[in-house]
Amino acid sequence: MAQWIINGLGTGIKTTRYPRSVENAPGVTPGLPCGGECSSPDAAAQLARRCPTNALIQSEAKIAVDYSRCVHCFRCQRETESPLAWQSTYEWAAAGGSLDLLDGPFRKSVHIIVVDAGDCGACLNEVKQLNNPYYNMHRLGFFITPTPRHADVLLVVGPVTDHMRVALRKVYDAMPTPKRVLAVGACALSGGVFAGSFVCSHGLSNILPVDVQVPGNPPPPLAILHGLLVAVGRKSPASLLQTPPAAKTTSARP
Amino acid sequence: MLIPAFLLIFFLLCGSGILFSLFAPASWRAGIFAWFGAGAAVALVFASASALITGNAFHLLLWSLPGLTTLTLTLDQLSAVFLLITGLVLFPASIFAGSELKIGCPQSFAALLLGLYAAIVLILIAGDALLFLLAWEIMSILCYLLIVDARDNQFDRASAGYLLLAMGEAGTLAAALAFLVLAVASGTLNFAGIKSAAAHFGPTVEWAVFLLSFFGFGVKAGLIPVNFWLPRAYLAAPRAFVPILAGATLNLGLYGILRVNTDLMPATIAGPGLIALAVGTLSALVGILYATTDNDLRMMLAHSSIENVGIIVAGLGAGMVFIATDHPVPAAIAFAAALYHLMNHSLYKTLLFFGVETVHRRAGSRDMDRLGGLIKFMPLTALGFLVGALSIAALPPFNGFVSEWLTLQTMLRSSVLSSTAIKIVFALCGAGLALTAALAVTCFVKVFAMTFLGMQRSENMNSTEAGAGALAPMAILAVLCLLFGILPTYIIPLLNSALNSLTGSSVADALVPAFFSSSPAHAALPPAFVSDFHNIGAQVGQSALPGRGLVVMHRGGAANPVVFAMSTTYMLAVLVILLALTFVIIRLGFTRARRLSRRQRWDGGIRRLLPEMTYTATGFSNPVRVIFDAVFRPTTVEDTRQTVEEHFRTAIRREKQREHLVDKLIFHPVETVVMWCSRTLSFMHHGRFNAYAAYALLTLLVVLVVFLFSQTP
Amino acid sequence: MNRSELMQQLQRLWPGSLQCNPDASGLTCEIHCPSEKLPEVCGQLFLQWKLSFAGLIVEEAAEEWHLRYCFYGGAAMGWVHLLVYFPLNVRTVPSIVRFVHAADWHEREAEDLFGLTFEGHPRLGDFILHNDAWQESVEPMRRRFDPQEALRHRKPDTEWRPLRIVQEPGAFVMPIGPKYSGVTESVHFLLETVGEDVIRSIPRLFYKWRAVEKLAEGKSVDDCLLLAERFAATTAFAHGLAFCQAVEAVCSAAVPPRARILRVFLAELERLRQHAGAIQEICESTALVVANSQAGILEEDLLRISGELTGHRYLFGLLSPGGLLCDLSDDACNNCLSASQQVLQKLLDLQKRLRVASSFLDRLEEVGFISLRDATVYGLLGPVARASGLIGDLRKMLPYSDYQNFAFDVPSEHEGDGYARLRILFAEAQQSVRIMEQAIAALPGGGICAAPRLRPGAALGWVEAPRGGAFHWVRLGEDGKIARYRIIPPSFANWHGFHLAVEKFAFQDFPIILSTFDLSVAENDR
Repeated sequence: MAQWIINGLGTGIKTTRYPRSVENAPGVTPGLPCGGECSSPDAAAQLARRCPTNALIQSEAKIAVDYSRCVHCFRCQRETESPLAWQSTYEWAAAGGSLDLLDGPFRKSVHIIVVDAGDCGACLNEVKQLNNPYYNMHRLGFFITPTPRHADVLLVVGPVTDHMRVALRKVYDAMPTPKRVLAVGACALSGGVFAGSFVCSHGLSNILPVDVQVPGNPPPPLAILHGLLVAVGRKSPASLLQTPPAAKTTSARP
Repeated sequence: MLIPAFLLIFFLLCGSGILFSLFAPASWRAGIFAWFGAGAAVALVFASASALITGNAFHLLLWSLPGLTTLTLTLDQLSAVFLLITGLVLFPASIFAGSELKIGCPQSFAALLLGLYAAIVLILIAGDALLFLLAWEIMSILCYLLIVDARDNQFDRASAGYLLLAMGEAGTLAAALAFLVLAVASGTLNFAGIKSAAAHFGPTVEWAVFLLSFFGFGVKAGLIPVNFWLPRAYLAAPRAFVPILAGATLNLGLYGILRVNTDLMPATIAGPGLIALAVGTLSALVGILYATTDNDLRMMLAHSSIENVGIIVAGLGAGMVFIATDHPVPAAIAFAAALYHLMNHSLYKTLLFFGVETVHRRAGSRDMDRLGGLIKFMPLTALGFLVGALSIAALPPFNGFVSEWLTLQTMLRSSVLSSTAIKIVFALCGAGLALTAALAVTCFVKVFAMTFLGMQRSENMNSTEAGAGALAPMAILAVLCLLFGILPTYIIPLLNSALNSLTGSSVADALVPAFFSSSPAHAALPPAFVSDFHNIGAQVGQSALPGRGLVVMHRGGAANPVVFAMSTTYMLAVLVILLALTFVIIRLGFTRARRLSRRQRWDGGIRRLLPEMTYTATGFSNPVRVIFDAVFRPTTVEDTRQTVEEHFRTAIRREKQREHLVDKLIFHPVETVVMWCSRTLSFMHHGRFNAYAAYALLTLLVVLVVFLFSQTP
Repeated sequence: MNRSELMQQLQRLWPGSLQCNPDASGLTCEIHCPSEKLPEVCGQLFLQWKLSFAGLIVEEAAEEWHLRYCFYGGAAMGWVHLLVYFPLNVRTVPSIVRFVHAADWHEREAEDLFGLTFEGHPRLGDFILHNDAWQESVEPMRRRFDPQEALRHRKPDTEWRPLRIVQEPGAFVMPIGPKYSGVTESVHFLLETVGEDVIRSIPRLFYKWRAVEKLAEGKSVDDCLLLAERFAATTAFAHGLAFCQAVEAVCSAAVPPRARILRVFLAELERLRQHAGAIQEICESTALVVANSQAGILEEDLLRISGELTGHRYLFGLLSPGGLLCDLSDDACNNCLSASQQVLQKLLDLQKRLRVASSFLDRLEEVGFISLRDATVYGLLGPVARASGLIGDLRKMLPYSDYQNFAFDVPSEHEGDGYARLRILFAEAQQSVRIMEQAIAALPGGGICAAPRLRPGAALGWVEAPRGGAFHWVRLGEDGKIARYRIIPPSFANWHGFHLAVEKFAFQDFPIILSTFDLSVAENDR
């Protein structure tokens, strides 16, 4: 018994200071590609074709990135003639739909129910890391609950598989209002690499109204934390579409 | 004058009811029984109430049988208490039986039942041993006939009835022997005569009479180890009769024990009382263990009856010990606890049986593993059953709580005793009774939840709400349960006169002291007591309420002058106020601005929640089964069917065969011995008439020789 | 026994029926077998000669069904593939379940996905396609399958009930899931019980079935690599490596030595991280809070180390058929190694503390027991099998990617309970760091990728993933696209045997036994 107390106290404080300050330890985030400008429209078109999920949107020589589709294959950065720059940020969460997010008493205390709707295991593992001493989401007032009756936020990972539809719908219906839905991971936003499967949906928004979207494959724990803070109004949301600096996307996606 | 008048009305109603039902057309029989039976019960209630309130006794000499005794009728206070509860129970039971019999009444059923009423009352007002035993025999035989009423020819019914009769006769024999010993010791069969001669009995007589009467009447009461007929008989009894069997006839055994061991022959040695205490606690424990782990509703209630009788007998035993060690006030409290529990048990057990029989008729099954979710179909029955379940689980504000509290207080009173050995026995029995109370709560939570709440466990069960004929009796008894629970301060003075005669001290003064200004008794009370009184608020309602206030309390001895008190009336008032306040605050403060929406139950997200996915009664009580494995000792028969080189199991069949402890230890050995004796003696039954004549001649010769030898000096 | 002896014995036992063709690389031997002889031959291979059963691969060729039963032994034996060919209109084939119980779920999967009936299998149906969601005979893996039609004309069986085996009065079925507990994968358990302990348990899997094998058909090799990495991302590198090795075997491509060594390094890094995660799960399930936090710190440390070295915490985007997609500098690898060694030290300190935590050990020792016989019959894999004494590590038996040049032990226990599985995790973590040290010491220079020339063909790639042996079968078509992709993950066999450990234990032990198995639903469900 005493050995655990000594051991725990001896480890010290490992918790990150986020959201009070920026966390820049190495390896906390895989980052996401920035939009950029290529040498020529052909090079840009070739680069856009390299993306397996059509996350790169080309307009003339400029490339914009749709974060909701990026699956971190790194092909726009590795083994390519005109690699895109990548930023190692993690505040990616965007507010889909209305900005009417949880507020008031929920700012400092909210219960989350996590539903795995076909996830590969990585997003779920990152959500689980939120409880380890490095991130410790309890200090920010986020708690995981196993029952939807006590939940305020529904966090869904994975492309929604056909077999999980009923369960997901039941969880959503069993939650009392006010409730908000968080879609975490590229699979939940756009289907990810499984978008073409006949038993997966093309994103959670086809099934439930989604309030906050956190891109990434998987989003690191800090990104999920940012998403939760956006949901309770303590952080402002970002945008899923990264346009290159000082440029506007005019052409629609083919 | 009132008492004999009401008794006469009672007997007239019974007699005319018997005659009418025998000669009336079949469709009228149920109605005749209901009306005559209910009327007779009302007459009983009036008779006993007037006896208790006015304090008069009733005495009547019937026929004189020269050489034996004069047949006497005596209605004293003790009988009045039993008559009161019998009347209160028989009134709704008659209505219920009437509604059950409407479906089909066999030829003589109503007549037999009314005859049973008369027999019960005769036992209770018998004033001498001969009339008592006569009425007892009639009652036994009538019970047997009512059970084996062979409309539907079931083997179990016959064998259960036979066991009831056989055990009943054995018990009657033992009781008759007890009366014989009393008669030899006192010279008369008359109860009054025996009572006056009781002071001269020695310990041998006391032990003999106690053992014979305790286990003899214990058969009817349902005490371990002589109660193995009880579950079988309750299972086999027809639906109209079983509430009466449980609510009225069970008390007769207790009446017998009480009458012989405390009234006719007050205890002077502590031994018999201790045995009664120990046997009572053991019965209570074994009874509730089997009740908790049984799935058939009737069996469960039968075992629960055994448990409650155990509690009553434990209280009786404690009282006998206190009388023997010359502590009249704790003895009075003990007897008050026992009698109160007896009354409560009759009320709520009958109520529970009404509920069970209604469920059986409406839902078609008595197996808790097949019921469930009935509250949707029969909400009123469920409410009545809930009141019964709360009462038997001893939860305030219902009546079970008061008698359970008094019984446990009695066990704690053992601190006034001087002998350490006796105190240890009291402590162990007190612990056993506390365990019983806890298990009783488990048992009835399981019963109510599995039967009425949750999902339906078998599909295609179309149940409907019970008719008025079943709901009205339940309502009457439920109201009585509540009243007996919240007005103990009015019930205990009713018992006062009966207990006064038994113990010589007034239980009312001990438990329910009068309001100060209205009784001169307070002048003798010490000032500390008076101030405690005021602090508890026992004077509330002094000017408004008649009677003795609303708090049940008593004081410790001179060594520990602590006041123990409780008031179920206050509890009810506080409960109602708190509930109302909570409702108002929540409604006004929190939910007025919010809508209430109804959503489907959360089931883990599965597509369809099936009946086989809910907890069964067996599963609910499995922890109890596992913990008390040493008592149950089940033998498991496991049979696994497998196919394909044992890799795929197709069936795992497990059966836990459980033999009742009493059956295994007592019934089967006794059965074996009796069968062996009969077989050995059957060599005498060879059918030759000449040999039988020779037997008679031989017996005569032996008697003559013995007589001759006893005459010679 | 070695391969040639096996061939002789087979010819002796079934003269004239079997036709053996060893392949070019010499590692695999294909034996054509008529379907009537199939069960006996499989019995001989599995029961008598103690080969291991990897899995069943069903392919729908132009006019025939091609069934491939893959068995393997040690280095002297290699692979033995039993091929059963029969025309498309014949839909039944004898089941081998009587001899090879490990094939139980493989046959059920083939029945659900392809519509083949395996005669003699008592439990076909309601496996991948839940009967209360789909009607029978959907057959999604057939070429002629039209998803739109299937979804439009769906007729689920609304009266479906679970199969009940226990016939005890008062028995009931306790459902758990698919959404249960806090942060868990979606899987449905049906526990048959009479109250306190579990008499029989059936996990109802495939709630997370994404039809990856169907999705892969027609994709390019690069896109299919994405699927291989991301269908079970906690062991992404291992599965991606198996896929790359399968493609390289098809194209007979040689991987540069630096890439081979780096592959070993990264695979062992992933094994270390996954085992730390499994240890954290076990501590969490037994509610030993400080140990849970300590293990959580170590898992996060390893995730950050992986992210710092490769740019992604789960090692995505590193593999490419023919080598690695990008090079890693020697300095970075050295830093990674020293950081991993520090983490391993803390991990072993944790083990020392856990060894004397009696309340923790009480919940693991003699709980969740699997005997060696059961492990062999069910074909269990990975640390679970090694804890019961079934030592089978693909890195030693059929070395790939230069593992034969590394010196390491394969730890094993024989108790087969939860504590044995925990000890295996710690021991394997230690061995992983040992291999990583040897890899860095032997790291050559040179190229990192030699892109293969795609050509049609089929081959099996295998890898000892952190959870056990993973097998990927890849068939490339004429156009260089994937024609058939079959994944046999280690969790598939371990989920099959999971019920053995749970039965006869109480409900409270259930989550702990589950955590000691380190199962992945995503890996099993694909």
